[in-house]
Amino acid sequence: MSILAFFFIVVSLLSFVVAQLILKRAMEFSATNGLRNSRFVSLAATGIALMTVSFFLTLGLLQRFDLSYLYPFQGLSVIFITLMAAVALKEKLNLRLTVGALLITTGIVLVSLS
Amino acid sequence: MQNRPSGFGNPWLQLGLSVVCVLVSEFLLKRGATDIAEPDSAFSWTGINGLESPLVWWAILLIIASFISWLYVLRYVPLTVAYPLSRIVDVLVPLGCWVFLGELISALRWCGIALVIIGLALVAKPIAQIEERL
Repeated sequence: MSILAFFFIVVSLLSFVVAQLILKRAMEFSATNGLRNSRFVSLAATGIALMTVSFFLTLGLLQRFDLSYLYPFQGLSVIFITLMAAVALKEKLNLRLTVGALLITTGIVLVSLS
Repeated sequence: MQNRPSGFGNPWLQLGLSVVCVLVSEFLLKRGATDIAEPDSAFSWTGINGLESPLVWWAILLIIASFISWLYVLRYVPLTVAYPLSRIVDVLVPLGCWVFLGELISALRWCGIALVIIGLALVAKPIAQIEERL
């Protein structure tokens, strides 16, 4: 794998993880403040923009590599998002959820490696 | 998870819909990307040339649908629960290849699928208990 490919995989993964956190915050905000306010719109727009960046980078990667090769990296998003949601959004994270997320990530990596 | 709507507005139903849309879009995207692959062109790193494929456009429609369902889910369910559950799609994609495309699944891959299912069960069980109490 070239350094360029690794770079695009990491940027695609990071933008996806950050987008999910921002979108979650936007939807929580909308639950109490409604959809028609500038803070919700700017949060949702940032989230959608990051998702779009991640989508097109993935499309570029899919032209060069097998889906089964790229999938383990998407699998890592489970553990990243679970941990980041606990840290950045202060969601409750217990042992059960952490072990569950770790098993899912390991499983996805195994599925793609085989 | 308080004041959850029922029926079509049930967040768990919406999570399921979101997963199905993502599942179908994954197959469409891989087919579309393979059809128009131009690995020699530097521009194709951006993936934008993927828009030449009609399959990619169908996939985009499904992704938008799944995205709307997903936003709705986020309104009611914590990310630490919703996101791991949404990754059931990582089991459904290889199972779909096995059932519909006749692809073989190796022993290691079956182990991976089993791990994902155990992980999903761990994440989902406390929710099932909460739902029972309601």
